[in-house]
Amino acid sequence: MTARKRHFIVIDDNKLDCFIAEKIILNTGVSEKISVFDDARKALEYIREEIDFTPGSKLVILVDIQMPMMNGFEFVEAFESLPEETRNKFVVFMLTSSINQSDLNRISNYTSVLQLLNKPLSVVKLTSMMAVLS
Amino acid sequence: MAELEKIKVLYIDDEVNNLIGFKASFRLDYKIFTANNTPEALLHLSKHPDIRVIFCDQRMPDKTGVQFFKEIKSIYPHPIRILLTGYTDIEAVIEAINLSNIFRYVTKPWIDADIISSIEEASRFYMANSMIFIKNEELQKAYDELDKFAYSVTHDVRGPLLSILGAIDVAQYVDNIPDLRDMLKMMEESVKNLDSYIQNIHDYHNVKRGELHIEEIDFNEIVKEQEEIFKLTSRLKNIKLAINVVQHEPFRCDKISLKMILNNLLSNAFKFQTKDNKDKCVDLNIQVATGTAIIYVKDNGIGIHSNDIGEIFNMFYRATTEQNGAGFGLYNVKDALIKLNGEITVQSELGEGSVFKVSIPNK
Repeated sequence: MTARKRHFIVIDDNKLDCFIAEKIILNTGVSEKISVFDDARKALEYIREEIDFTPGSKLVILVDIQMPMMNGFEFVEAFESLPEETRNKFVVFMLTSSINQSDLNRISNYTSVLQLLNKPLSVVKLTSMMAVLS
Repeated sequence: MAELEKIKVLYIDDEVNNLIGFKASFRLDYKIFTANNTPEALLHLSKHPDIRVIFCDQRMPDKTGVQFFKEIKSIYPHPIRILLTGYTDIEAVIEAINLSNIFRYVTKPWIDADIISSIEEASRFYMANSMIFIKNEELQKAYDELDKFAYSVTHDVRGPLLSILGAIDVAQYVDNIPDLRDMLKMMEESVKNLDSYIQNIHDYHNVKRGELHIEEIDFNEIVKEQEEIFKLTSRLKNIKLAINVVQHEPFRCDKISLKMILNNLLSNAFKFQTKDNKDKCVDLNIQVATGTAIIYVKDNGIGIHSNDIGEIFNMFYRATTEQNGAGFGLYNVKDALIKLNGEITVQSELGEGSVFKVSIPNK
């Protein structure tokens, strides 16, 4: 199995969490590019306009749940309202520190969310995520 | 007994003589309202929502007492309903109990002692009910906040902890020293956030449950203390702190609340600065005059979006990702001001800065 290098989009308002995600993605060697956003609205804008991607290789979105202004839920809802053609270019993973059952239940309603992962991100978690993808 | 403290009683009867007799007998001990018909009674009820006891005659030309009680039960659930009738009609009694949930049934002609004991009993019942109602509302509010609290703890306490945990994990295979330093700096931020969250919980609890200790306030002294706290930030981040205090009269207030209010407003003013601004400044202006303290905390920082202004005093609301925070500070400030009968207003322009104005009356 040859792992395909992917473009990652990390969305988290916490700088340290972004940094961790970046380091882990780099160190695991699974990425060709990492874009980091501390504001989900900017990420959404980027996704809407992003046309520069390698066909056949989906972009991987890692999005946090609790964020000010636009939280992870609102982001996913906005994402799901995008045209199918755009959505198909991405896979969405959610990352959370939440242990709140209603949060977890809510995520299972979003068809576009492939998996929910507990923070912190680690090499092991990222590797298993990648295994799901390939 | 003062007029205001008298129990308010409403009596509805189509026989005017009964109304006159009732009022004459009980007006010294109670505040009596009388009504010749049900529309008149409704008028009294809408004007005096604190009527505690309603006596109503059963046989009236427009409707029966039972019908009237049944109608008002949902609109005015609090007054205690007592039916008054000259007929011992078992059907009416059954209906009165089952349909209009009356408290008592008094026969006509009445004995004064019966009426008085009914009013006293009903009033006690009313008080107990009102107490339960108020306590229930408080309890509901407390539960709602507890829910929010429990939810925020998973994010605001667990969040920084997991960040640090993640960073420790990553640090094990980072060899680059500057990278490690960056990480330590961010870990330090996380620890500070956690600590300030705990500080905020402490403030929250103090405001909610603590008693006010009203004492003489010297604003110069309080401000000096705050100045010490922010001196380091002011120097490190190159933010000018200008202070002006004018107090020519004594002022009494709760010192802990005042300090908390000032500290939160100043901390926000220092926190939400524009990065590249060369003349960052925070302005604290306090004027005590004619029994009111007016406090202005002004900054030339990032400002607040007009959409967010209505929300910033809400618990856990955060208007920006620029700075960390739990969205707790201004909630505590507002809560403390409610207790002090004070007020807070804010004027802000995005990119220009914000002015918070607090006014607190002397106690």
